[in-house]
Amino acid sequence: MTKSNLTRRSFVKVSALAGAATAIGASMAGCMSESAPAPEEPAKETTATAESAPAEDSKAGLTKMRTSCHGCIQMCPAIAYLKDGVVVKLEGDPEAPVSRGSLCIKGLNQLHTMYSPRRVLHPLRRAGERGENKWEVISWDEAITEAATHIKDAIDKYGNYAFFASVGGGGSYSFMEAMTLPMAFGSPTVFEPGCAQCYLPRWALSKLFYGGDDQSIADNAVQEIFKPEDNQTEVVVIWGAQPSVSETAESGRGMAELRAAGVKTVVVDPNFSPDAVKADVWLPVRPGSDTKLLLSWFRYIFENKLYDEEFTKYWTNLPFLIDMDEKSERYKLPVLAQDIFPDFKQTTPENTPAYVCFDLKTNQVAPFEYSAPADAVVDPEIFWAGEYEGKSYKTAGQIYKEEADPWTLEKTAEECWLQADKIEEAIKLYVENNGGIANGVASDMTESASQVPLGCMGLDSIMGRINKPGVTMTQKGGGYFAAESETGETKSIRPVTYNNGFGGMFSDMYGIGAVIGLSDAQNEERIKAMAETNGEMQKRHNQLLVDRLGMKDHKGLYAWCHSHIPTVRNAIATGEPFKPRVWFDMSGNKLAMLGNAKSWYDVFPEVDYIIGQYPMLTSFHIEACDLVFPLREWLEEPMVNMTQLDTQWLQNECTHIGETVSHSIPAAQVVNKCREMWGGEIPGGLMPGLLASATEAEVKQGVADTLGAPDWETLQANTDEYVPFVTPNYWNYGQHEQICDEDGLPSGFATESRKIETYCQMLIKMARTGYPYCYPEPQEACADYSPICCAIEPAESPMESAEGYDAEYPFVLTSGRVPYFHHGTMRHAPFSRELFPTAEIRINPASAKELGIEHMDWVKVTSRRGEVHARAYLTEGVNPKTVWMERFWNPECYDASQANPTGGWLECNVNVLTKNDAPFNEVYGSYTNRGFTVKIEKSTRPENIWVEPEEFAPFLPTSEMLAEPQTKDVF
Amino acid sequence: MKNCLVIDLDRCSGCDSCVAACKLENEIDLGVKFTRVNAVGPTGTFPDIEMYWLPMQCQQCENPGCIEVCPTGASYRDEATGVVLVNADDCIGCETCLTGCPYNVRTLNPNTNVVEKCTLCFHRRGDEAGWEPACVHNCCCGARLFGDLDDPESDVSKAIAAAGEENVHHIYDPASLAPSTAYILHEKVAAWVEEPEEVERYEKK
Repeated sequence: MTKSNLTRRSFVKVSALAGAATAIGASMAGCMSESAPAPEEPAKETTATAESAPAEDSKAGLTKMRTSCHGCIQMCPAIAYLKDGVVVKLEGDPEAPVSRGSLCIKGLNQLHTMYSPRRVLHPLRRAGERGENKWEVISWDEAITEAATHIKDAIDKYGNYAFFASVGGGGSYSFMEAMTLPMAFGSPTVFEPGCAQCYLPRWALSKLFYGGDDQSIADNAVQEIFKPEDNQTEVVVIWGAQPSVSETAESGRGMAELRAAGVKTVVVDPNFSPDAVKADVWLPVRPGSDTKLLLSWFRYIFENKLYDEEFTKYWTNLPFLIDMDEKSERYKLPVLAQDIFPDFKQTTPENTPAYVCFDLKTNQVAPFEYSAPADAVVDPEIFWAGEYEGKSYKTAGQIYKEEADPWTLEKTAEECWLQADKIEEAIKLYVENNGGIANGVASDMTESASQVPLGCMGLDSIMGRINKPGVTMTQKGGGYFAAESETGETKSIRPVTYNNGFGGMFSDMYGIGAVIGLSDAQNEERIKAMAETNGEMQKRHNQLLVDRLGMKDHKGLYAWCHSHIPTVRNAIATGEPFKPRVWFDMSGNKLAMLGNAKSWYDVFPEVDYIIGQYPMLTSFHIEACDLVFPLREWLEEPMVNMTQLDTQWLQNECTHIGETVSHSIPAAQVVNKCREMWGGEIPGGLMPGLLASATEAEVKQGVADTLGAPDWETLQANTDEYVPFVTPNYWNYGQHEQICDEDGLPSGFATESRKIETYCQMLIKMARTGYPYCYPEPQEACADYSPICCAIEPAESPMESAEGYDAEYPFVLTSGRVPYFHHGTMRHAPFSRELFPTAEIRINPASAKELGIEHMDWVKVTSRRGEVHARAYLTEGVNPKTVWMERFWNPECYDASQANPTGGWLECNVNVLTKNDAPFNEVYGSYTNRGFTVKIEKSTRPENIWVEPEEFAPFLPTSEMLAEPQTKDVF
Repeated sequence: MKNCLVIDLDRCSGCDSCVAACKLENEIDLGVKFTRVNAVGPTGTFPDIEMYWLPMQCQQCENPGCIEVCPTGASYRDEATGVVLVNADDCIGCETCLTGCPYNVRTLNPNTNVVEKCTLCFHRRGDEAGWEPACVHNCCCGARLFGDLDDPESDVSKAIAAAGEENVHHIYDPASLAPSTAYILHEKVAAWVEEPEEVERYEKK
């Protein structure tokens, strides 16, 4: 018999280097301690005896708590195991319907980041110059008072617009708080490096397009394809997303299961991502040229009559005649039946306009009233151009067809660096199998941020792949972003879309914004009624909409109430049209996440006072912040997860150390303090203003309410009883065909026309007045936005024939995630950095050879904005003219062990290269994080960058951190 | 019993979550890995290429070279479970076993002077929920399976049977060690490479 003594050592690694860094992390003795367990080694020495004694359960003696990971936005259900209050083990929850027990490296490594010496456990006030990384621990009272005093003084002296907020880059818990904090202070300014560059364009356009959920596989919008039972998906086209990398345990696992079940996939991605590797067809599109590829799909489908003709005729607006008269008020808008048939009497309600088509039954231009397809008087032609009473018209379908016409397979192959036969194979897979298109962040990070989702949704719409089993565009009951009733019941009224905020929540709150699907008269009446009850707030909010930075040109940003980032930067730099002076940032490393980071670093001196909040100090906090509030890590913060299919799960308070608070609390406390200092009301501020919980009790009760528990204590003690919370009647199909109780017509869609607006007519109205967001008082007009997908060539082009070509920068750079990190997170996770120690740039071996670059050589990458360094990863998985990077930053650069510490954002950060000037996406103002050009040269490793596994020892949990006592709620 | 991993390379996406799960579960030092996942390829020339990821850990050989060459008997096979293990008490850190293993899946931990390797989470064999290595539980692709290859009803035996002989591979065997870990890979995803070159990350000296 052999006795085996397995090599199990302590979890605790006390490193000489870690000691210094712990100064901020280590708790003040006894502070608010609930109980101070003797610091004990959390992992015990295990002696496994092979044959004789029966083996013990490896989790014996550990406390099990169900929770949800927050390593990325999808929040997979997970299980934490604790010993003496310290979390010692994490694993995926096998009951989760999509992730099925998976937990990815981002989630698993929370075991280290929770107890990282980089944690901030107490409020910190800057003690040296910005950038010196010197801090003083202060009390929460002092911190709240100090923040409130600075904000109040600035507003008293310079007015409400001196305040501004931001969020994003660290997991973005605080979307709602960031949107509403400036409202509380009567300021219009807030931004987020994601937003226009991440998800807003796809999310908001789907509301305008058909009033339903979007196609994002990265943001929990697409659920239908992952149904474990009765799944009718046969094909998924993944356009600019890599679920296996970005949402590894959920959408990644979901895709693995689909492929194993025989579902076909097409992947459009310049990089040979894991999903591309497994795809039936991979289209390595030239970065930024996706609009052209989409148009080639339209052309092929139109030309070969592969679209769903019945659906396109009666459920999309493509047969509508569009006014082509530049002088007409309705130029580019669909013609109303009353406009050209003065005697026409509409039989549908006023909220359901009658349009005009070319009728194939009578071969003439005719009114086209809304009805069930079977009840239609006309047989509308989709593609028609002609004259009527001396004026020329085209159908929306014809306009699309003409836009798509140049994009033959051959021309597209040439322009998009693809093979014509592969494009055709991909289209055939898509049209011949039931399914849909799913997308991700790629297009949001380009000038074509609105045109690509219009194209992706447009294709699914002409294929009739909407509100059906197996497709991606379905309208589900419940769900985080759902605007419909929580019970998931189909409304028997004519569907409408509220705007301004998630679910249009600010619309009713302040009486701003028009409701799409109400008639003009109904909207006017609604706004007037609200003015009577809440006139002052309505007026103030409308003024904030008018004054928000960058809104004249990029009105799509209204959907999430955000400002245009480059315009905010310019306002800080120049004071025009006003100067933002006091900044409250709510998460993450802005210097790693904002495009053209140096342009931001340069304006920090212009900002009088900067407040940050985060569980750790990042480059941004060190280089910019004057005050930092300590936040809980996800193992500490009560929350409800993002849903998997029809289930919602608890993010539990598994443990809690230091004086950290839930993410909403600092802002709420600061607002309360300001109100107190002003004697009750913030002058010029909106009420209710900030939507945020000010205490942990409120946070916890909110979570209990969502999961149907009477209170937090009951929920925590009986988690299995309340979790998962199942949304009833979640799966819904064919809602548009159900008869509406109000008017006996099919319910249709929550758009102006009650149909799918494949020709997104609302964008034309939006450009001209800000409708439906900036209402009743309009925004100034800008050039019309394109209502359909149209061809866009990136401003910095690698094509010699293009205007933006510069031989100095021969490669086109695009970027994407690696599985180790989400946004700016986890660069301080030693087990992630050990595997992916530093920034990489994927280069084709043929190009590398020409440059004398070998695998793992350090290279310098230079754009027209700046230069960074990365290791070359040679792979045939990119086009010889394309290079691919992951964004990066280096928290080791300001480790206490460094002789000459730096902020860690200049060395390897792709956002030093990215382009934050015009041309922007017209609707959303998105700048160019992907698809710009660079040059590459051999270089050497920058100073302060760690690459060897052992170097990351200072990031490991310290014994001091593991011995931190469990603490009570601060607020 | 012949407890072993079976890994479905059709599913594996190279996310390295298994590596982290293993390291956290087994409290492995920086610089030491019991399992690694490297890319094989892409092979071919852009854009006509294919690739797969190859998770590598102790192959649980039928004739383990490591045991054969170990001078102290520290490397041994647990007869009850079939798992190849290292007895830390008996290991003298001489690294002879590394010469008996062609797969580079054993590491001398300089901090303890003991050779370490995958144990298939031997310490979890008494788990109430059943013996399941951490890498298998958390695998983000459902690619890692664990069970008794001698039992035709086990998950691993069934997966092998379902895949069909031509799609089940074993790692190259230059020393007649008969590695037991089975890899499932269909030609449609990528062709199995007999002696793969693993693409690694490292700092050039």
